[in-house]
Amino acid sequence: MTMRFTPALFFVAMVALGGVAYAHHGSASYRQEPTTLKGVVTRVNWGNPHTLLFFDYKDAKGEVQHWVAEANAASTISTTGWTKTAIKDGDTVTVVFYAAKNGQTVGRVGKVVLADGREFGDGSLIGDRPSVCDDEFTTGGNEAAACRPGGRITNNDQQR
Amino acid sequence: MRTHLTRAHSSFGGIATVVLLLASAPHAAFAQNAERDKPSGPAPVHDLWGMWAGPNEGLLSNRVPMMTPAGRAKLDANIPDPFSASSNDPWKTCDPFGMPRGVNNQYGLFGFAQMPGRIIILNAFNRTWREVWMDGRKVPQNIGHEGGPSAMYNGYSVGHWEGDNTLVVETVGMDERTWMDRRGYPHSVDAKVTERYTRIDFDHVSMTETVDDPAYYTQNPFLFAKQDYRLVANQVNLNAPIPFTSDRLCIPSQASDYLKLIGVPADIDSATGQKK
Repeated sequence: MTMRFTPALFFVAMVALGGVAYAHHGSASYRQEPTTLKGVVTRVNWGNPHTLLFFDYKDAKGEVQHWVAEANAASTISTTGWTKTAIKDGDTVTVVFYAAKNGQTVGRVGKVVLADGREFGDGSLIGDRPSVCDDEFTTGGNEAAACRPGGRITNNDQQR
Repeated sequence: MRTHLTRAHSSFGGIATVVLLLASAPHAAFAQNAERDKPSGPAPVHDLWGMWAGPNEGLLSNRVPMMTPAGRAKLDANIPDPFSASSNDPWKTCDPFGMPRGVNNQYGLFGFAQMPGRIIILNAFNRTWREVWMDGRKVPQNIGHEGGPSAMYNGYSVGHWEGDNTLVVETVGMDERTWMDRRGYPHSVDAKVTERYTRIDFDHVSMTETVDDPAYYTQNPFLFAKQDYRLVANQVNLNAPIPFTSDRLCIPSQASDYLKLIGVPADIDSATGQKK
């Protein structure tokens, strides 16, 4: 499997995304370094809980890899201009994403760049903010995996 | 009997009208009251009308009291994270959040529709609503037990104003199948939940959610969740590219596809510590 990591790209992606990609569901499954692949879209599952972008990438040996990358919920990515019909089967896209740590060809979308230059991001809702996990309160999402087992601390735990 | 039916029918018509007003013609609905469109100012008296926005997730207490053995057993059986294959979170199959979870999970855009004798709380997530009776009626007794009425996902809610700016909503009779939050805290059918919505000024509401459930928790009542919200000035989704509220729906077939296509291949279970 060929992946290209460049420090410059990483920096650009981090600035562009403002860390949003790390604040959502399931982030713990994915690498923190973005991967960029240019491929051809084979399907888009527009919806919830997350929109799925299917694309084929041909590696240096000419072998085709079938990728599935999850973006945020449809209502959330809509805020970046992404609509149900904006990306069609057969479109060539450049996908900046965070690949699964386990080596499967799945990942988490950072942004998608179309051939005409339009970009769609993962989006974030106004009012959303990164998870908190302080002494008093937590947002409780699985993105707060670092808080576990404090994801649900009770005084029963403290007594152990 | 006829009177009862007529009244019930009429009440539903009233709710439907308000829902339609809020959903389809927000500008028209609120243009009549210029006071509402002011960017800031003092909180109006006994008035929470309109849509409110904030973080999708409430802030959940890390200081949940010690649980009873029965409560602890329920907590241990609840495996959170709707994005992982091993979870039994009702969210995974788009089952209703119900109460008390409904106001601390995916509660980032909601509204109050006030009408004589009741307040309707509308949630943009799954486009659901619940009613809070303000006419002084009492909640039924013995809910969920032999001889009493059945528990319901959203329970039975009554409310009252405390001072000029705090709406207090008390809910009992919540179906035990609902979780208290996305972490999987359980509640018994005898739990009582109190929401307090304090309108701090024209644009801001602060919500707290307090739980009283001696069957499952040893110190009662206790603060369980809180969050702050801002009035949506133009009564539409704050960041919508077009001025209509977008769908925020849990759709069972899509949730199932998600697990099959992403959740299992990415092994979210292992990453989040669900699976060793």
